[in-house]
Amino acid sequence: MSPLDPIASPDHGPSARRSPYWRTLEELADTPQFREMLAKEFPYGIELKGVHRRRWLQLMGASLALAGLGGCRWEKEEIAPFVHRPVGRIPGKAEHYATAMDLAGTPIGLVATCVDGRPIKLEGNPGHPMSLGGTDVFAQAAVLELYDPDRGQDVVRREGKRREIASWDAYREALGRFLQSAPEGRGLAILAEASCSPTLARLRHAISARLPGISWFEYEPWSDDNARLGTGSAFGRPLQPFYRLDQARVILSLDADLFGGMPGSVRWTRDFAATRDGSPDRMSRLYVVESGHTTTGASADHRLPLSPRRVVLFAMAMEAAVRRLAAGETLSQLAEAESGGNPGKAAPVRFLAVAAMDLWAAGSRGLVAAGPAMPPEVHAAVARINDLLKNRGTTLLYYPAPDPDRPTHVQAVTSLTEAMGAGEIRGLLILGGNPAFNAPADVPLAERLPKLEFSAHLSGYENETSRLCGWYLPQVHFLESWGDVQAWDGTYSVVQPTIAPLRNGKSTLEILAMLGDMVGSPEQWVRETFAALTAEEGDDAESRWAAALQRGCHPPSRDYAVPDVAAAAEASGDAVAAFTEAIRTGTSQPGSTADLTIVFRRDASVFDGRFANSGWLQEFPDPMTRWTWGNPLVIGVGTARRLGCQDGRLVRLELDRRSVELPVCILPGVPDDTAVVFLGYGREAAGHVGGLADEGVPPVGVNVHPLRTSADWFVRESVPVRVLGKKVPIPSVQDHHLIDTVGLASRTERLGELVREVTFQRLHDPDAHYSAEHEVHHPPLESLWTEPSHDGHRWGLSVDLSKCVGCGACVVACQAENNIPVVGKERVVRGREMHWIRVDRYFRGDEDNPQSVHQPVMCQQCELAPCEQVCPVAATVHSKEGLNDMVYNRCVGTRYCANNCPYKVRRFNYFYYHQRVEQPDNRLLQLVFNPEVTVRSRGVMEKCTYCVQRIQGAKIAARNEGRAVADGEIRTACQQACPAQAIVFGDLADEQSAVRREHASARAYGMLAELNVKPRTKYLARVRNPHPLLAAEHEAADRRGEGHGGHA
Amino acid sequence: MPKPILPPWVDQARPIFGAVLLLTPIYVLGVAWFAADPQTIDIGYAPAQPVPFSHALHAGELGLDCRYCHTTVEKAAHAAVPSTEICMNCHNAIAAESPKLAAVRDSYASGKPVPWGRVHDLPDFVYFDHSAHVNRGVSCVECHDRVDRMERVFQSKTLRMGWCLECHRNPDPHLRPQDQITNLGWQAESPEEQLRIGQEIRRRNNIQPSTDCSTCHR
Repeated sequence: MSPLDPIASPDHGPSARRSPYWRTLEELADTPQFREMLAKEFPYGIELKGVHRRRWLQLMGASLALAGLGGCRWEKEEIAPFVHRPVGRIPGKAEHYATAMDLAGTPIGLVATCVDGRPIKLEGNPGHPMSLGGTDVFAQAAVLELYDPDRGQDVVRREGKRREIASWDAYREALGRFLQSAPEGRGLAILAEASCSPTLARLRHAISARLPGISWFEYEPWSDDNARLGTGSAFGRPLQPFYRLDQARVILSLDADLFGGMPGSVRWTRDFAATRDGSPDRMSRLYVVESGHTTTGASADHRLPLSPRRVVLFAMAMEAAVRRLAAGETLSQLAEAESGGNPGKAAPVRFLAVAAMDLWAAGSRGLVAAGPAMPPEVHAAVARINDLLKNRGTTLLYYPAPDPDRPTHVQAVTSLTEAMGAGEIRGLLILGGNPAFNAPADVPLAERLPKLEFSAHLSGYENETSRLCGWYLPQVHFLESWGDVQAWDGTYSVVQPTIAPLRNGKSTLEILAMLGDMVGSPEQWVRETFAALTAEEGDDAESRWAAALQRGCHPPSRDYAVPDVAAAAEASGDAVAAFTEAIRTGTSQPGSTADLTIVFRRDASVFDGRFANSGWLQEFPDPMTRWTWGNPLVIGVGTARRLGCQDGRLVRLELDRRSVELPVCILPGVPDDTAVVFLGYGREAAGHVGGLADEGVPPVGVNVHPLRTSADWFVRESVPVRVLGKKVPIPSVQDHHLIDTVGLASRTERLGELVREVTFQRLHDPDAHYSAEHEVHHPPLESLWTEPSHDGHRWGLSVDLSKCVGCGACVVACQAENNIPVVGKERVVRGREMHWIRVDRYFRGDEDNPQSVHQPVMCQQCELAPCEQVCPVAATVHSKEGLNDMVYNRCVGTRYCANNCPYKVRRFNYFYYHQRVEQPDNRLLQLVFNPEVTVRSRGVMEKCTYCVQRIQGAKIAARNEGRAVADGEIRTACQQACPAQAIVFGDLADEQSAVRREHASARAYGMLAELNVKPRTKYLARVRNPHPLLAAEHEAADRRGEGHGGHA
Repeated sequence: MPKPILPPWVDQARPIFGAVLLLTPIYVLGVAWFAADPQTIDIGYAPAQPVPFSHALHAGELGLDCRYCHTTVEKAAHAAVPSTEICMNCHNAIAAESPKLAAVRDSYASGKPVPWGRVHDLPDFVYFDHSAHVNRGVSCVECHDRVDRMERVFQSKTLRMGWCLECHRNPDPHLRPQDQITNLGWQAESPEEQLRIGQEIRRRNNIQPSTDCSTCHR
């Protein structure tokens, strides 16, 4: 027997020792002293064997190596509890605070989920009128911006080439010195970005009173100035239209990207979606006339692509047409216009007539909206049309536009630059924005800025403008500062900080206050504003303030909607005839055939460029082109054919000796000879993600601002284009050209099964019951093995394709909630993007004007999952509640599951994508992770989990409280973010649940259900509502198997 | 004949080489096996702490309830280590000058937390929820053993998944009446009585411990 066997244990005692050997005489004698010694040496309760084995190993002399093995245990974690824990704070448990975001002057109410004192996720505030609980991608990505290590951290002073870190005191001194040389502020100008903050407005007035010589300028590269001018000329003062799309039955959009490109998009999407579920009493019809191809066009029942010039003609013709109908005339001749052999020529005229008739028939339930790019006369015409429809108070409200006397943004920046050149302005304080980057190309702001005596830029990042200023001032993020926002209808929201400022930043309010030597703090000023605003509501100001903070918004004390009526237009010829003529003659624009009309658009991911450094947004695919990490020149099929170029081919656009080279993206549905370009790319001082010339980080995308002049702010005609020989890899997440023709053909055939659509008429056909499931016929499904019974919860999800507009807020929300990495452009080119939910976009019908539909696809949580059947290590297994569990720690990276998945929703971590956050400079980014979800390393598969962390959290909370989980208590991240409320999650076992109702709908079908995988996610077929007179075009596309399923 | 490549003594040594070649991997594997056994590197793990806090004194002798300090154990996933304030509740008067409490007093004065060393640590991909267990009849002692007898807290159970599954698959031996949750020394009169009590609690509270992976791995 080995002498190292356990000598004795307290349980057994020496008298019961198993070994006949003893080591000491005391042991043999079993004296009380010996027992006492034993008791001390081995504390009661510990398992002897463990200690002994460790001792044995040490004795073996392998201790040196094993000391390292002892460190095979993961690093010792430290627990650092509070010294004083705030009342009610539970470490690790989420708290929710209401706040709001001011994006280019439009507010959106938000609720921040904060864990351990930091915000990790933003949701919409259900009580806020601009949100109603939904969000857009910009709000979802805002939390990443907060933790961006590229955000400015110090006050920086520049003199010529020299850059040095300074301090706030130094800035204050310099400001003070300049103000001494500028009595009453004369010679000092302030260039601010748009804001809807009442406190900012109040401070501005206070400063103006104190220093009346200061000139104020407001500038935004993308705004609704044309609408202001239009309504200004129509009503005598600029007004802000507020749409009630849930009340509308016929909507006409004139280049208005209602669901993506306008300030109220989140709200408009929500209201519109309420009219799209096929209910007979609420079904709406959307007509879209546009010069690009947007998600609004994709949601349209009838869409007409026209060049910008023709959209204007169409709009004026629409006013004339509605006037004729109002006068009792008929348009039926136009509605049945013959093509004279060319259907393309008749369709726009028929469209005009039918849309006008439909609008007129809808009366107060009709609505016409014009987009920000439309010239002021169109907005005035639209105001008059809406007045004719008498829809005020039903589908349309007007609110006073803020700051009614300000010049347009282009005028402002132009006059500022002139004054700078003339020497009238010697000092400039820029509050936010990036005017040196996105000012009009003919306005030399960037040249004149460095020549000023005093210049300071308050900005979150040290960007292009900051580098030309004498002072860079770091700006706090809205999540870490006090402020306020006011919506158009007067709803007031407090922006409250959810974390102390991470960097040494200050807010706009504080910078302004410095000018006027005002005392106090932003919190105080906001409270004062609130008190003044609500003074007439009674005495209990404290409880009102607390309620406003808790709810996130304070309703307006009165209705601010204005009843003004638009002034009549002067008669100016027959607009309908002008439009018809333009269509007939066929030229969309003057100039040579090698010229294009360039349409400038705000980007769907980087906005106007301000979010260029956000990895989540750069990797967010454009809803229509599906491009990431860059901006293409978007042209239609006809234009591409004429130019002779394919996807990815570089083309050069030239203007006034400035040229820009862009890769081509062919998007069916863009009108001929028109091209869309997106602003905000090609930045050289955005950061390590968006482009940093100083450190060799190439800019993402191409800067198109050299083409944008003040005279042609939204549209530039006759731009010569030259196709270059070079081709670039296409960072699109929906590549079609990689698939062989046979595969493409068969997939095209199946697309009608994947994405099902039904017309409103067919849905409610009394003679033929419609069932989306029966669109695909298959033999009876048999299973190879016994299917488990599902007692208890049965989680399910439904996606309503009729409500989904393709905005993609779900994609970024999922990324935020589940710690999904950003992979970068090269990997996207290889198809390795990591988004757990993707929004596929499909076309159908004529390639010049296709119908399109968006389908969000995530793990379908199949009951008979093909992925579970092939995992060699059981890393993906089925839970009793129907979830397909993905166990990261078991996965060895075979990738067979992804291979077997028919929906291709599984994502593999080919690299340790989160490595970036381990670098010392980037560790701040670690704060954005959701602690409830594992952060995956390389070599493991991941996929949508129906937000299992939220499910478990809700179940545990319910159990702790001794109650059942209520329907609607668990909301997946995608569901919560969706502005249209297209996604519904819940318990299928609960007979009253919303998801059960959705699954029981006639429109519900499971995608690829014929494979007998039994997906728990069901889609609701898209409902289209074509007008009978235009329905023929729909039917042509309806025939199964016809047309392109995708864009080749 | 060409010159031999190896010197002649290699011939004699060949059996020894063979034996070494055969036995070394077995030896290395054996050492590694025992070294990596949970019982080697987990059980008994007792990291040094900045303050010689004795549970045996506070929880055992003085009889403080676990929840007096670990206040969040019934409300949240984490059983929070108490804040310095909780220590100072008593220790601003009791043993107010004791050198053992210097770190606590310093923390209270400076606002910096006391850097406790974590004893019971699960991998980052495991999400354990205290409230789900403590509220349902699982006592602290089931996983943390007799903390009220430990001078310095050490890990007494393996906390490995297999060990968790033992209880999840058969919870009856580990359930006790809710009022005895923090009475670490409580024992049913007999093993049969324990099973009876456990079964009753399980039935009454509808305790169905899940063995689905997503229960803990997300």
